[in-house]
Amino acid sequence: MGVVAYAGMAYGLTAVISLAVIGLIVIMDKVMGKGNTEDEGGTDE
Amino acid sequence: MEMLIKLFPGIGSLFVQDPVIAGSRIVLIVLGFVLAYYGYKRTLEPLIMVPMGIGMICINASVLFLANGQPGTLFLDPLISDPNQLMNIMQVNFLQPIYNFTFSNSLVACMVFLGVGAMCEIGFIVANPWVSIIIAIFAEAGTFATLILGVWLGLAPNEAIAVASIGGADGPMVLFTSLMAAPDLFVPISVIAYLYLSLTYAGYPWIVKWMVPKKYRAMDIIADMPEVSKKSKFIFIVISCGVLCLLLPMGGPLIMSFFLGMAIKESGIVPYQELVENTVLYMATLLLGLLLGCLCEASTLLNGKVFIIVALGIFALAVSGVVGVIGGWVVYWFKGGKNFNPVVGIAGVSCVPSTAKIAQHAAEDENPFAVVLPVAMGANVAGVIVSAVACGVLISTIDMIMK
Repeated sequence: MGVVAYAGMAYGLTAVISLAVIGLIVIMDKVMGKGNTEDEGGTDE
Repeated sequence: MEMLIKLFPGIGSLFVQDPVIAGSRIVLIVLGFVLAYYGYKRTLEPLIMVPMGIGMICINASVLFLANGQPGTLFLDPLISDPNQLMNIMQVNFLQPIYNFTFSNSLVACMVFLGVGAMCEIGFIVANPWVSIIIAIFAEAGTFATLILGVWLGLAPNEAIAVASIGGADGPMVLFTSLMAAPDLFVPISVIAYLYLSLTYAGYPWIVKWMVPKKYRAMDIIADMPEVSKKSKFIFIVISCGVLCLLLPMGGPLIMSFFLGMAIKESGIVPYQELVENTVLYMATLLLGLLLGCLCEASTLLNGKVFIIVALGIFALAVSGVVGVIGGWVVYWFKGGKNFNPVVGIAGVSCVPSTAKIAQHAAEDENPFAVVLPVAMGANVAGVIVSAVACGVLISTIDMIMK
Protein backbone atom coordinates (compact mmCIF):
# COMPACT_ATOMS: atom_id res chain seq x y z
CA MET A 1 0.00 0.00 0.00
CA GLY A 2 1.32 3.44 -0.92
CA VAL A 3 2.06 5.87 1.86
CA VAL A 4 -0.57 8.40 0.71
CA ALA A 5 -3.28 5.73 0.58
CA TYR A 6 -2.17 4.40 3.97
CA ALA A 7 -2.17 7.87 5.57
CA GLY A 8 -5.60 8.59 4.09
CA MET A 9 -6.94 5.26 5.32
CA ALA A 10 -5.49 5.77 8.82
CA TYR A 11 -6.84 9.35 9.03
CA GLY A 12 -10.26 8.18 7.87
CA LEU A 13 -10.28 5.32 10.36
CA THR A 14 -9.23 7.70 13.15
CA ALA A 15 -12.08 10.07 12.23
CA VAL A 16 -14.68 7.28 12.02
CA ILE A 17 -13.69 5.73 15.37
CA SER A 18 -13.58 9.14 17.09
CA LEU A 19 -16.99 10.08 15.69
CA ALA A 20 -18.37 6.69 16.74
CA VAL A 21 -17.13 7.19 20.32
CA ILE A 22 -18.68 10.65 20.46
CA GLY A 23 -21.87 9.29 18.89
CA LEU A 24 -21.96 6.69 21.63
CA ILE A 25 -21.59 9.39 24.29
CA VAL A 26 -24.39 11.44 22.69
CA ILE A 27 -26.69 8.41 22.54
CA MET A 28 -25.93 7.49 26.16
CA ASP A 29 -26.57 11.09 27.16
CA LYS A 30 -29.97 10.99 25.43
CA VAL A 31 -30.87 7.58 26.87
CA MET A 32 -29.86 8.42 30.42
CA GLY A 33 -31.69 11.76 30.19
CA LYS A 34 -30.36 15.21 30.74
CA GLY A 35 -32.74 15.78 33.63
CA ASN A 36 -30.62 13.59 35.88
CA THR A 37 -29.96 15.29 39.14
CA GLU A 38 -26.46 15.16 40.58
CA ASP A 39 -25.63 11.72 41.93
CA GLU A 40 -22.76 11.18 44.23
CA GLY A 41 -20.56 8.61 42.54
CA GLY A 42 -18.96 5.71 44.36
CA THR A 43 -17.87 5.55 47.92
CA ASP A 44 -15.73 8.40 48.99
CA GLU A 45 -13.56 7.28 51.82
CA MET B 1 47.98 16.30 30.06
CA GLU B 2 47.64 12.77 31.44
CA MET B 3 47.44 14.20 34.94
CA LEU B 4 44.68 16.57 33.80
CA ILE B 5 42.75 13.70 32.23
CA LYS B 6 43.05 11.63 35.42
CA LEU B 7 42.16 14.48 37.75
CA PHE B 8 39.31 15.96 35.70
CA PRO B 9 38.05 13.29 33.31
CA GLY B 10 34.99 15.43 32.48
CA ILE B 11 37.30 18.02 30.92
CA GLY B 12 40.05 15.62 29.86
CA SER B 13 37.65 13.42 27.90
CA LEU B 14 36.88 16.41 25.67
CA PHE B 15 40.45 16.17 24.35
CA VAL B 16 40.45 12.46 23.64
CA GLN B 17 36.95 12.06 22.21
CA ASP B 18 36.02 12.50 18.56
CA PRO B 19 36.01 16.31 18.04
CA VAL B 20 32.41 16.16 16.72
CA ILE B 21 31.21 14.43 19.90
CA ALA B 22 33.30 16.71 22.13
CA GLY B 23 31.92 19.80 20.37
CA SER B 24 28.37 18.44 20.61
CA ARG B 25 28.83 17.88 24.34
CA ILE B 26 29.72 21.55 24.81
CA VAL B 27 26.76 22.67 22.66
CA LEU B 28 24.39 20.41 24.65
CA ILE B 29 25.72 21.74 27.99
CA VAL B 30 24.99 25.30 26.81
CA LEU B 31 21.60 24.23 25.43
CA GLY B 32 20.77 22.54 28.75
CA PHE B 33 21.49 25.80 30.56
CA VAL B 34 19.31 27.74 28.09
CA LEU B 35 16.40 25.30 28.51
CA ALA B 36 16.61 25.29 32.31
CA TYR B 37 16.83 29.10 32.40
CA TYR B 38 13.87 29.65 30.06
CA GLY B 39 11.95 27.03 32.05
CA TYR B 40 12.71 29.04 35.19
CA LYS B 41 11.54 32.20 33.37
CA ARG B 42 8.31 30.34 32.36
CA THR B 43 9.01 31.04 28.67
CA LEU B 44 9.20 27.27 28.24
CA GLU B 45 7.25 24.67 30.22
CA PRO B 46 9.08 24.63 33.59
CA LEU B 47 7.84 21.21 34.74
CA ILE B 48 9.75 19.51 31.93
CA MET B 49 12.43 22.02 31.00
CA VAL B 50 14.06 22.60 34.40
CA PRO B 51 14.82 18.91 35.09
CA MET B 52 15.54 18.27 31.40
CA GLY B 53 18.00 21.17 31.13
CA ILE B 54 19.83 20.11 34.28
CA GLY B 55 19.88 16.50 33.08
CA MET B 56 21.39 17.62 29.74
CA ILE B 57 24.10 19.61 31.48
CA CYS B 58 25.04 16.81 33.88
CA ILE B 59 25.03 13.93 31.37
CA ASN B 60 27.33 15.82 29.00
CA ALA B 61 29.56 17.26 31.71
CA SER B 62 30.15 14.21 33.90
CA VAL B 63 31.88 11.99 31.36
CA LEU B 64 34.57 9.76 32.82
CA PHE B 65 36.63 6.78 31.75
CA LEU B 66 34.91 3.50 32.56
CA ALA B 67 36.61 0.21 33.44
CA ASN B 68 37.13 -0.64 29.76
CA GLY B 69 38.85 2.72 29.18
CA GLN B 70 35.98 4.08 27.09
CA PRO B 71 34.35 7.41 27.98
CA GLY B 72 30.92 7.06 29.57
CA THR B 73 28.80 8.19 32.52
CA LEU B 74 27.31 6.74 35.69
CA PHE B 75 23.81 7.91 34.74
CA LEU B 76 22.30 5.50 32.21
CA ASP B 77 22.99 3.75 28.94
CA PRO B 78 19.89 3.67 26.70
CA LEU B 79 21.52 1.50 24.05
CA ILE B 80 22.14 -1.62 26.14
CA SER B 81 19.96 -4.55 25.12
CA ASP B 82 21.92 -7.63 26.20
CA PRO B 83 20.27 -8.96 29.41
CA ASN B 84 23.57 -9.82 31.14
CA GLN B 85 25.07 -6.43 30.38
CA LEU B 86 21.84 -4.79 31.50
CA MET B 87 21.88 -6.59 34.86
CA ASN B 88 25.46 -5.47 35.43
CA ILE B 89 24.89 -1.90 34.38
CA MET B 90 21.79 -1.60 36.60
CA GLN B 91 24.08 -2.00 39.59
CA VAL B 92 26.29 0.85 38.40
CA ASN B 93 24.18 3.50 36.66
CA PHE B 94 21.84 5.19 39.11
CA LEU B 95 19.10 6.08 36.59
CA GLN B 96 19.27 2.77 34.68
CA PRO B 97 16.53 1.00 36.72
CA ILE B 98 14.19 3.98 36.33
CA TYR B 99 14.92 4.13 32.60
CA ASN B 100 14.33 0.42 32.00
CA PHE B 101 11.39 -0.08 34.35
CA THR B 102 9.47 3.13 33.71
CA PHE B 103 10.67 4.88 30.55
CA SER B 104 11.53 2.29 27.93
CA ASN B 105 8.30 0.35 28.59
CA SER B 106 6.31 3.64 28.43
CA LEU B 107 5.01 3.23 32.01
CA VAL B 108 5.99 6.84 32.66
CA ALA B 109 3.94 7.96 29.64
CA CYS B 110 0.93 6.06 30.99
CA MET B 111 1.43 7.62 34.45
CA VAL B 112 1.43 11.11 32.91
CA PHE B 113 -1.69 10.20 30.96
CA LEU B 114 -3.36 8.94 34.15
CA GLY B 115 -2.74 12.34 35.74
CA VAL B 116 -3.91 14.20 32.61
CA GLY B 117 -7.09 12.10 32.61
CA ALA B 118 -7.76 13.04 36.23
CA MET B 119 -7.59 16.72 35.25
CA CYS B 120 -9.88 16.41 32.20
CA GLU B 121 -13.58 17.20 32.43
CA ILE B 122 -15.73 15.11 30.10
CA GLY B 123 -18.60 17.55 30.70
CA PHE B 124 -16.96 19.96 28.22
CA ILE B 125 -17.31 17.34 25.47
CA VAL B 126 -20.86 16.46 26.47
CA ALA B 127 -21.74 20.18 26.15
CA ASN B 128 -20.49 20.41 22.53
CA PRO B 129 -19.79 16.86 21.36
CA TRP B 130 -19.79 17.28 17.57
CA VAL B 131 -18.03 20.65 17.49
CA SER B 132 -15.33 19.33 19.85
CA ILE B 133 -14.63 16.16 17.92
CA ILE B 134 -14.74 17.75 14.45
CA ILE B 135 -12.19 20.39 15.46
CA ALA B 136 -10.03 17.70 17.08
CA ILE B 137 -10.13 15.56 13.92
CA PHE B 138 -8.98 18.56 11.85
CA ALA B 139 -6.19 19.25 14.34
CA GLU B 140 -4.83 15.72 13.96
CA ALA B 141 -3.94 16.40 10.29
CA GLY B 142 -0.29 17.12 11.12
CA THR B 143 0.23 13.50 12.12
CA PHE B 144 -0.84 12.09 8.76
CA ALA B 145 0.77 14.83 6.63
CA THR B 146 4.06 14.22 8.45
CA LEU B 147 3.79 10.49 7.91
CA ILE B 148 3.65 11.07 4.13
CA LEU B 149 6.46 13.65 4.18
CA GLY B 150 8.61 11.43 6.40
CA VAL B 151 8.45 8.53 3.95
CA TRP B 152 9.14 10.89 1.05
CA LEU B 153 12.22 12.17 2.91
CA GLY B 154 13.59 8.65 3.17
CA LEU B 155 12.49 7.41 6.58
CA ALA B 156 11.27 3.84 6.88
CA PRO B 157 7.45 3.75 7.30
CA ASN B 158 7.66 2.72 10.98
CA GLU B 159 10.12 5.58 11.64
CA ALA B 160 7.85 8.02 9.80
CA ILE B 161 4.90 6.87 11.95
CA ALA B 162 6.94 7.43 15.12
CA VAL B 163 7.96 10.96 14.08
CA ALA B 164 4.45 11.75 12.79
CA SER B 165 3.02 11.16 16.25
CA ILE B 166 4.51 14.55 17.22
CA GLY B 167 1.58 16.02 15.23
CA GLY B 168 -0.79 14.84 17.97
CA ALA B 169 1.05 17.26 20.29
CA ASP B 170 0.74 14.85 23.17
CA GLY B 171 4.02 13.95 24.86
CA PRO B 172 2.99 10.57 26.34
CA MET B 173 1.51 9.59 22.98
CA VAL B 174 4.77 10.38 21.19
CA LEU B 175 6.74 8.30 23.70
CA PHE B 176 4.33 5.40 23.38
CA THR B 177 4.11 5.45 19.58
CA SER B 178 7.84 5.83 19.01
CA LEU B 179 8.59 3.00 21.45
CA MET B 180 6.13 0.73 19.68
CA ALA B 181 6.99 1.73 16.11
CA ALA B 182 10.69 2.66 16.08
CA PRO B 183 12.43 1.88 19.39
CA ASP B 184 15.87 2.75 17.99
CA LEU B 185 14.76 6.32 17.21
CA PHE B 186 12.59 7.00 20.22
CA VAL B 187 15.29 8.88 22.12
CA PRO B 188 15.78 11.69 19.56
CA ILE B 189 12.06 11.69 18.68
CA SER B 190 10.89 12.08 22.27
CA VAL B 191 13.54 14.70 23.09
CA ILE B 192 12.64 16.76 20.01
CA ALA B 193 8.90 16.30 20.62
CA TYR B 194 9.12 17.63 24.18
CA LEU B 195 11.31 20.54 23.10
CA TYR B 196 8.76 21.51 20.47
CA LEU B 197 5.76 20.98 22.73
CA SER B 198 7.25 23.56 25.08
CA LEU B 199 7.46 25.94 22.15
CA THR B 200 3.74 25.72 21.32
CA TYR B 201 3.20 28.45 23.90
CA ALA B 202 5.36 30.73 21.76
CA GLY B 203 4.40 29.61 18.23
CA TYR B 204 0.67 28.90 18.26
CA PRO B 205 -0.50 32.41 19.23
CA TRP B 206 1.17 33.61 16.01
CA ILE B 207 -0.70 31.05 13.92
CA VAL B 208 -3.98 32.18 15.52
CA LYS B 209 -3.22 35.86 14.87
CA TRP B 210 -2.17 35.10 11.31
CA MET B 211 -5.27 33.05 10.47
CA VAL B 212 -8.03 34.78 12.42
CA PRO B 213 -8.57 38.53 11.84
CA LYS B 214 -8.96 40.75 14.89
CA LYS B 215 -12.75 41.22 14.68
CA TYR B 216 -13.33 37.46 14.67
CA ARG B 217 -10.87 36.87 17.52
CA ALA B 218 -12.91 39.22 19.69
CA MET B 219 -16.11 37.16 19.37
CA ASP B 220 -17.67 35.84 22.56
CA ILE B 221 -19.28 32.39 22.76
CA ILE B 222 -22.36 31.96 24.91
CA ALA B 223 -21.85 28.39 26.02
CA ASP B 224 -24.73 26.39 27.38
CA MET B 225 -23.27 23.85 29.77
CA PRO B 226 -25.86 21.10 30.23
CA GLU B 227 -26.08 19.51 33.62
CA VAL B 228 -24.70 16.00 33.45
CA SER B 229 -24.73 13.90 36.57
CA LYS B 230 -21.53 12.31 37.83
CA LYS B 231 -23.15 8.90 37.34
CA SER B 232 -23.78 9.61 33.65
CA LYS B 233 -20.25 10.93 33.15
CA PHE B 234 -18.80 7.87 34.88
CA ILE B 235 -20.80 5.53 32.67
CA PHE B 236 -19.76 7.46 29.50
CA ILE B 237 -16.12 7.15 30.53
CA VAL B 238 -16.21 3.45 31.36
CA ILE B 239 -18.12 2.48 28.20
CA SER B 240 -15.94 4.70 25.93
CA CYS B 241 -12.83 3.16 27.49
CA GLY B 242 -14.11 -0.37 26.92
CA VAL B 243 -15.12 0.35 23.32
CA LEU B 244 -11.79 1.99 22.45
CA CYS B 245 -9.79 -0.86 24.03
CA LEU B 246 -11.92 -3.33 22.10
CA LEU B 247 -11.25 -1.48 18.83
CA LEU B 248 -7.59 -0.58 19.43
CA PRO B 249 -5.90 -3.10 21.75
CA MET B 250 -2.43 -1.81 20.77
CA GLY B 251 -3.27 1.55 22.30
CA GLY B 252 -4.88 -0.15 25.31
CA PRO B 253 -2.34 0.92 27.98
CA LEU B 254 -2.63 4.61 27.06
CA ILE B 255 -6.40 4.50 26.61
CA MET B 256 -6.85 2.73 29.95
CA SER B 257 -4.58 5.19 31.77
CA PHE B 258 -6.40 8.25 30.40
CA PHE B 259 -9.92 6.96 31.05
CA LEU B 260 -8.96 5.53 34.46
CA GLY B 261 -7.82 9.05 35.46
CA MET B 262 -11.16 10.46 34.28
CA ALA B 263 -13.09 7.69 36.06
CA ILE B 264 -11.24 8.34 39.33
CA LYS B 265 -12.18 12.01 39.09
CA GLU B 266 -15.84 11.36 38.36
CA SER B 267 -16.24 8.62 40.95
CA GLY B 268 -15.14 11.07 43.62
CA ILE B 269 -12.56 8.83 45.26
CA VAL B 270 -10.75 11.77 46.81
CA PRO B 271 -7.60 9.99 48.07
CA TYR B 272 -7.02 8.44 44.61
CA GLN B 273 -7.73 11.72 42.87
CA GLU B 274 -5.23 13.59 45.02
CA LEU B 275 -2.67 10.81 44.55
CA VAL B 276 -3.06 10.75 40.76
CA GLU B 277 -3.35 14.52 40.20
CA ASN B 278 -0.44 15.39 42.43
CA THR B 279 1.97 12.61 43.35
CA VAL B 280 1.69 10.38 40.27
CA LEU B 281 1.52 13.18 37.69
CA TYR B 282 4.30 15.32 39.16
CA MET B 283 6.55 12.35 39.97
CA ALA B 284 6.12 11.01 36.43
CA THR B 285 6.72 14.45 34.91
CA LEU B 286 9.87 14.98 36.99
CA LEU B 287 11.25 11.57 36.02
CA LEU B 288 10.28 12.17 32.41
CA GLY B 289 12.04 15.54 32.27
CA LEU B 290 15.14 14.23 34.04
CA LEU B 291 15.39 11.12 31.87
CA LEU B 292 14.83 13.10 28.68
CA GLY B 293 17.68 15.40 29.71
CA CYS B 294 19.95 12.48 30.55
CA LEU B 295 19.17 10.90 27.18
CA CYS B 296 20.56 14.01 25.47
CA GLU B 297 24.07 12.60 25.44
CA ALA B 298 26.04 13.72 22.41
CA SER B 299 26.81 10.20 21.21
CA THR B 300 23.13 9.12 21.50
CA LEU B 301 21.75 12.12 19.68
CA LEU B 302 24.28 12.16 16.87
CA ASN B 303 22.10 10.13 14.54
CA GLY B 304 22.01 10.94 10.84
CA LYS B 305 18.22 11.06 10.97
CA VAL B 306 18.06 13.70 13.71
CA PHE B 307 17.95 16.60 11.24
CA ILE B 308 15.02 15.02 9.40
CA ILE B 309 13.23 14.50 12.75
CA VAL B 310 13.91 18.12 13.72
CA ALA B 311 12.34 19.36 10.47
CA LEU B 312 9.43 16.91 10.55
CA GLY B 313 8.61 17.72 14.20
CA ILE B 314 8.11 21.41 13.54
CA PHE B 315 6.19 20.58 10.33
CA ALA B 316 3.86 18.21 12.22
CA LEU B 317 2.98 20.74 14.92
CA ALA B 318 2.62 23.59 12.42
CA VAL B 319 0.25 21.59 10.18
CA SER B 320 -1.83 20.45 13.17
CA GLY B 321 -2.12 24.05 14.39
CA VAL B 322 -2.99 25.48 10.97
CA VAL B 323 -5.50 22.75 10.07
CA GLY B 324 -6.97 22.98 13.59
CA VAL B 325 -7.73 26.67 13.01
CA ILE B 326 -9.17 25.78 9.57
CA GLY B 327 -11.43 23.37 11.50
CA GLY B 328 -12.43 26.32 13.69
CA TRP B 329 -13.38 28.27 10.54
CA VAL B 330 -15.36 25.32 9.14
CA VAL B 331 -17.40 25.12 12.35
CA TYR B 332 -17.85 28.91 12.29
CA TRP B 333 -19.22 28.82 8.73
CA PHE B 334 -21.31 25.75 9.51
CA LYS B 335 -22.92 27.64 12.38
CA GLY B 336 -23.66 30.55 10.06
CA GLY B 337 -21.12 32.82 11.74
CA LYS B 338 -23.09 32.92 14.98
CA ASN B 339 -21.97 32.22 18.53
CA PHE B 340 -18.62 30.73 17.61
CA ASN B 341 -15.06 31.98 17.58
CA PRO B 342 -12.65 30.35 15.06
CA VAL B 343 -9.74 30.66 17.53
CA VAL B 344 -11.19 27.60 19.28
CA GLY B 345 -9.70 25.60 16.38
CA ILE B 346 -6.22 25.79 17.90
CA ALA B 347 -7.53 24.01 21.01
CA GLY B 348 -8.16 20.89 18.92
CA VAL B 349 -4.40 20.32 19.17
CA SER B 350 -4.41 18.17 22.26
CA CYS B 351 -1.80 19.89 24.39
CA VAL B 352 -4.05 19.99 27.50
CA PRO B 353 -4.70 22.67 28.66
CA SER B 354 -2.11 24.88 26.91
CA THR B 355 -3.85 25.25 23.56
CA ALA B 356 -7.25 25.94 25.19
CA LYS B 357 -5.55 28.70 27.18
CA ILE B 358 -3.99 30.05 23.96
CA ALA B 359 -7.48 30.25 22.41
CA GLN B 360 -8.85 32.05 25.48
CA HIS B 361 -5.92 34.51 25.57
CA ALA B 362 -6.29 35.23 21.82
CA ALA B 363 -9.96 36.14 22.34
CA GLU B 364 -9.33 38.00 25.59
CA ASP B 365 -6.59 40.15 24.06
CA GLU B 366 -9.15 41.65 21.65
CA ASN B 367 -12.19 41.61 23.94
CA PRO B 368 -11.65 41.36 27.70
CA PHE B 369 -15.21 40.02 28.11
CA ALA B 370 -14.89 37.20 25.56
CA VAL B 371 -15.08 33.72 27.10
CA VAL B 372 -14.25 30.81 24.80
CA LEU B 373 -12.55 28.54 27.34
CA PRO B 374 -15.41 26.06 28.01
CA VAL B 375 -15.79 25.33 24.27
CA ALA B 376 -12.00 25.30 23.78
CA MET B 377 -11.61 22.81 26.63
CA GLY B 378 -14.14 20.53 24.91
CA ALA B 379 -12.05 20.59 21.73
CA ASN B 380 -8.93 20.08 23.85
CA VAL B 381 -10.19 16.98 25.65
CA ALA B 382 -11.59 15.64 22.35
CA GLY B 383 -8.09 16.23 20.93
CA VAL B 384 -6.64 13.84 23.51
CA ILE B 385 -9.18 11.18 22.55
CA VAL B 386 -8.49 11.64 18.82
CA SER B 387 -4.72 11.49 19.43
CA ALA B 388 -5.13 8.27 21.40
CA VAL B 389 -7.28 6.83 18.61
CA ALA B 390 -4.75 7.93 15.95
CA CYS B 391 -1.93 6.36 17.95
CA GLY B 392 -3.89 3.11 18.29
CA VAL B 393 -4.82 3.09 14.59
CA LEU B 394 -1.23 3.72 13.44
CA ILE B 395 0.28 1.06 15.70
CA SER B 396 -2.44 -1.47 14.88
CA THR B 397 -2.15 -1.01 11.10
CA ILE B 398 1.62 -0.59 10.85
CA ASP B 399 1.93 -3.99 9.10
CA MET B 400 -0.16 -2.70 6.19
CA ILE B 401 2.51 -0.19 5.21
CA MET B 402 5.54 -2.27 6.16
CA LYS B 403 4.71 -4.95 3.58
